[in-house]
Amino acid sequence: MTITRAPTRTTTAPAPAPRRRIPLEPYLYLLPHALLFFVFTVYPIGYGLYISLHRWDLLNPVKTFVGSEFYRNLFTPGTPQADFFWKTLWNTTFFTVVSVPLLMAAALGLALLLHRPIFGRTFFRAVFFMPGILTVSVMGILWRWMFDNQIGLVNAARDALLGAPPIPWLSTEGLAWVPIVVGTVWWTLGFNMTLYLAALGNVPLSLYEAASLDGATPWQSLRFITLPLLAPVTLFVFVTTALSSFQLFGQSLLITGGGPSRSTQSVIQYITEEGFSNAQYSSAAAMGFVFGLIMLIFTAAQFGIMARDVKGDGA
Amino acid sequence: MLAVIFLAPVYWMLSTSLKPEADAIATPVQWIPTQPTLDNYREILTSPDGNILRWTWNSLYVALAFTGLHVALCALTAYPLARMRFPGRNGWFWFILSSLMIPGIVTLVPTYIMMLNFEWINSYHALIWPGLSGVFGVFLLRQFFIGIPRELEEAARLDGAGSLQILWRIILPLSVPALATLAVFAFMGSWNNFLWPLYTVTDVDKMTLPVGITTFSQRYVTEYGKLMAATTLAAVPALIAYLIAQRFLEAGLSTTGLKE
Repeated sequence: MTITRAPTRTTTAPAPAPRRRIPLEPYLYLLPHALLFFVFTVYPIGYGLYISLHRWDLLNPVKTFVGSEFYRNLFTPGTPQADFFWKTLWNTTFFTVVSVPLLMAAALGLALLLHRPIFGRTFFRAVFFMPGILTVSVMGILWRWMFDNQIGLVNAARDALLGAPPIPWLSTEGLAWVPIVVGTVWWTLGFNMTLYLAALGNVPLSLYEAASLDGATPWQSLRFITLPLLAPVTLFVFVTTALSSFQLFGQSLLITGGGPSRSTQSVIQYITEEGFSNAQYSSAAAMGFVFGLIMLIFTAAQFGIMARDVKGDGA
Repeated sequence: MLAVIFLAPVYWMLSTSLKPEADAIATPVQWIPTQPTLDNYREILTSPDGNILRWTWNSLYVALAFTGLHVALCALTAYPLARMRFPGRNGWFWFILSSLMIPGIVTLVPTYIMMLNFEWINSYHALIWPGLSGVFGVFLLRQFFIGIPRELEEAARLDGAGSLQILWRIILPLSVPALATLAVFAFMGSWNNFLWPLYTVTDVDKMTLPVGITTFSQRYVTEYGKLMAATTLAAVPALIAYLIAQRFLEAGLSTTGLKE
């Protein structure tokens, strides 16, 4: 920029002008996304509420208003909707309660191991991260085969190592959760591990040096330096892991089919069954809202963590 | 030792896929295929029940279209939200951001009915359009755009550049890491999408890879050699993508949503 040009330009530069007409430009940039946002995010929420308050039959153009009937069904013991909705919601909760601590503890443990400059560190990181890139159906089909009642690798290994008889994992209530939980840990552990590794990389080494000069044991360093510094990541990992565990769908659908006798069916699988297989759209929409409300607790927590970022300097 | 346990399922998948059917279910198990064969792959690739290459192409087409459109939309939206002053800027940002709190299950059924009304069932449209207005990418890019020094933009403005030129010549080239992160996430998200395509695409020729592969698992329920050949083939594109995007994927994952 030349000195001769600059003065004339700065008089028209927009930045210092305190009073300007409302510019059109920014709104044009926002428009395409805003249109899609209204069509595919805002509108479906209202439309879903409308569907859940009417009896929706694709073949019948008249949609009768039924008020809260489909919601009341969910809270009336004895209706199949109430029975299966709460049963599958309990199943999903059970899965979350079991898998989240495993996924967090194992991820942290692996991250602590692989944080240190051990031989082949990059290779091991890749090994633990890799299953996560597989699509859920590959993962599901693979673990179904691994835990196959007769000839799966798990039963084969039990036979080869312990001489133990095969266990019918997939068709025993209670045990059917084992393949789902093990498969999920195998599948998603690497994501949490990577988050922990990144956070560990930010812990200043000088803290450890100071601690060891003061005679701290490795356990004390972990307990009083590493873990407190990891607290923000741990919170984030907890919320995101709980959130995704609550959305359990593909793993149980593909490994056990939700069986035996719905004991591993997830609430999302039940909602899709009610909606898409039984064509009970209104009922499924109502369940979507009730389950969505429960999920909101976790999403709000995640949102809070993200919002903390926005309020900072934004850099 | 842990790594061996982690790799065992993948080894077992590969090993089973190379065995003739009788060996795949033999007891005691064959840890190493005694008569390795590629027959399973040959049969899966030429199966009349569904075409893995076709599904891969569908997945690729949908994921690339989605990624391109999504990144462009997010960049266009994040740009004024980060770099311009206008009434309603913060209000709009918080409004769209608050949609992150709405769990996807709430809009599942109504969006499906919309797809029926639009006659988009069994078309790529159903797989591409509904997810495009996601706002996480807007958030990610806005945070990145804000950090770009103002001096660069002002210098360009003095030289007579319009806002579109500033976006294209200055903001976007400086934001390649953020754009690449978003692109990787968008691509992986679309590629691995399972629930939605499972119900909106029932025509075998239009299926994406994750859904198509499950039709094999229903058909070859007892033919594990073929099933494992199919899952191996289905895993290959993800592995290749991972090797290419490894740097971005792990770096992106560790910066997303967390600022330490």
